[in-house]
Amino acid sequence: MSLKNFLILGILSLALSLGYSQDHHDQETHQNDDKHKVEETQDGGHEEAKKDESKDSDEHEGSHEGDALEHGHKEDPSEVIIHHILDNHNWHITDLPGGQSIGIEFPWMVYTSKTGFVYASDSEELIEKGIIPVHEKPYVLKEGVEKHFHVNHHGMVHLEEGEMEKYIDEEAFVIDFSITKTVSQMILVGLILLLVMISVANAYKKREGQAPKGLQSFIEPVVIFVRDEVAKPYLGENTSKFLPYLLTLFFFIWFANLFGLMPFNSNIAGNISFTAALAILTFIITQVNASKDHWVHVFNTPGVPWWLKFGIPLMPLVEFIGLFTKPFALAVRLFANITAGHFMVLGLISLIFILGNGGESAGAAFGIAPLSFLFTVIIFMLEMIVAVIQPFIFTLLTAVFVGMAMESHDDHH
Amino acid sequence: MGSALIQPQVGLFFWSAVIFLVFFFILRRFAWKPILNAISAREAQIEESLQKAEQARKEMADLQSSNEALLREARAERDEIIRQANDMKDKIVKDARDEAANAAALERQKAMQQIEAEKRAAIDEIKNTASALAVDVAEKVLRKEFESKSTQEEFAKKVIADLGQN
Repeated sequence: MSLKNFLILGILSLALSLGYSQDHHDQETHQNDDKHKVEETQDGGHEEAKKDESKDSDEHEGSHEGDALEHGHKEDPSEVIIHHILDNHNWHITDLPGGQSIGIEFPWMVYTSKTGFVYASDSEELIEKGIIPVHEKPYVLKEGVEKHFHVNHHGMVHLEEGEMEKYIDEEAFVIDFSITKTVSQMILVGLILLLVMISVANAYKKREGQAPKGLQSFIEPVVIFVRDEVAKPYLGENTSKFLPYLLTLFFFIWFANLFGLMPFNSNIAGNISFTAALAILTFIITQVNASKDHWVHVFNTPGVPWWLKFGIPLMPLVEFIGLFTKPFALAVRLFANITAGHFMVLGLISLIFILGNGGESAGAAFGIAPLSFLFTVIIFMLEMIVAVIQPFIFTLLTAVFVGMAMESHDDHH
Repeated sequence: MGSALIQPQVGLFFWSAVIFLVFFFILRRFAWKPILNAISAREAQIEESLQKAEQARKEMADLQSSNEALLREARAERDEIIRQANDMKDKIVKDARDEAANAAALERQKAMQQIEAEKRAAIDEIKNTASALAVDVAEKVLRKEFESKSTQEEFAKKVIADLGQN
C-alpha cells in the first residue's frame, strides 16, 4: 500500500473519530460552555481529542450543573454507537464555537391512527400537534397531558422509565414518514449514482466505438463483471431482463456503503428497513417471474416420499418457509455486515474514551490512542472491501434466487 | 435502545423502496440501457473486426501463395526464354560459322582454280617457251649436225630403216 493511500485512510478515520467525539459531545451538552469551546475549536484527530479529554479532566471538578450530575460523567459507549448508527431526524454536522449548531433539522411527517397525517416543521410544533418524539421515534401523547417537554438539541424528548406509560398512548398506531437523515442520504446517493451513470452513458454516446476513458473505464469493467459473472451464469437468456435491476442493486448498495464510510454521512445499509425493502423487492421479483416448476418444486418436491408431502406435509412446509427465509437472510446479512463494521470502528475509537474514564485517566487515553488509531485504519480498510463484497453477494444471490425460480426442471432430478 | 437497531421502521422501509424504485427506473432508462447497448455494440464491433482481420489474413495468405505461383510461372517463362535465346544464339553462331566456312571454301576454290589456271598458263608458257627453245636448239643442233651432206644422207637412211622395221 502506498503512503498516499495510507494517509487518505488515516485522514478518513481521523475524521470519523471527530464525528464520534461530536456524538460524544452531543451526549454531554449539559456540561459547561467552556468545554464547548475547547471541543469545538479542535479541527480533527485524536491528538486534539485527547487534549480535549485532558482539559476535560482539569475542569472536571465542580463545573457540572443540573442533571449532568445525576447521570454522572460516564456514559454508555454502546448507546453512543447505536445512536450513531440509527436513523436520525436531523443531520448534525458540527457545532460552532459558541454553541451554534450546524446541521439540518428535518421536518416531521407522521401518520397516526389518532391524528391522521401530521406535518410539523420542528419537534416543538409536533408536540403542539399531540405527537411526542422520544429517541428518534414519534409517539401519540395521551389526551389531556400538559405539553411542556424539554426538547434537547437532537430535537428529542428524554423520558425516564415509567414516564412512557404516563404520557404515551400505547394503543395508537404510528408510522413515521419523515424524511430522515437516512432517507435524504439515500436520495443523495441516488442522485450521485445518477450523475455518475448518466455521465458514463453520455461518454458512450460521445465516444462511440472508441475505447473507454476516465470514469467510463472504471465503471465499465464493473458493469461487465455484474453482467458476465453475476447475472449470466444464473439467468442465462433472461439476463438482459434483470440486468438493470441487478446493476442498480449493486451500485446503489456499493455507493451507499462507500458514503457510509465517509464522515458526516449516514450508513444506509446499516438500517434493517432499507435492506428489508431491497430484499422484499427481490422476493417479489422472484415470485412474479417464477415458473410453474418452481411452485411444483415447492408444493410437490420431486424425489421426496409421498407421505412427507401429503401424509405429513413436512416438505411443502419447509420449502414454503424457505421462500421467505431467503430474502430474510439477504436483508439480515447486508444489515449485519455493514452495522458490524461501524460498530467495530466506533468501538475502537470508544476505547480511548472508555480508558480515559470520562477524563479521569488521561494517560490511559493517550496510551490507547495510537493502538486504537492503528486498528481503526485496519478495520477501515476491511470495511472498504466489505463495502463492495456485500452488494456483490446481495446481487449474486438475487440472480441465483430469480434464476432458480425461473428454471424449468425438465432435466432435473 | 439496542433493539431499535433491528426493528424495521415502516416509514424508512417505505421511503427505501420508493427511492430505490425511482432511481431504478431512471437509471434503467437513462443509464443502464445506453451503457449496456453501447457495450454490447462495441463487443459486436470487436468481434466483427476480429473476424475481418482473420479474413484479411487468410486473403493475404491466398494472395501470397498466388504470388508465389505467379513468380514460379514467371521464373519458368524466363528460363524458357533464356533457353530459347541460347538456342537461337547457338544457331546463329553456327550458321555464321557455316556461312563463313562456305564462303572461305568458295573463295579458296576460286583461288585454286585461278592458281590452277595460272599454273596451267604458266606451264603452257613454259612448254611453249621450252618447245620453242627446243626447236631453236634442235634447229641449231640440226643445223650443226646436218651441215655436211653425208650426215644428212646417213640419217635419212637410218630413219628410213626405222620406218621399215615398223
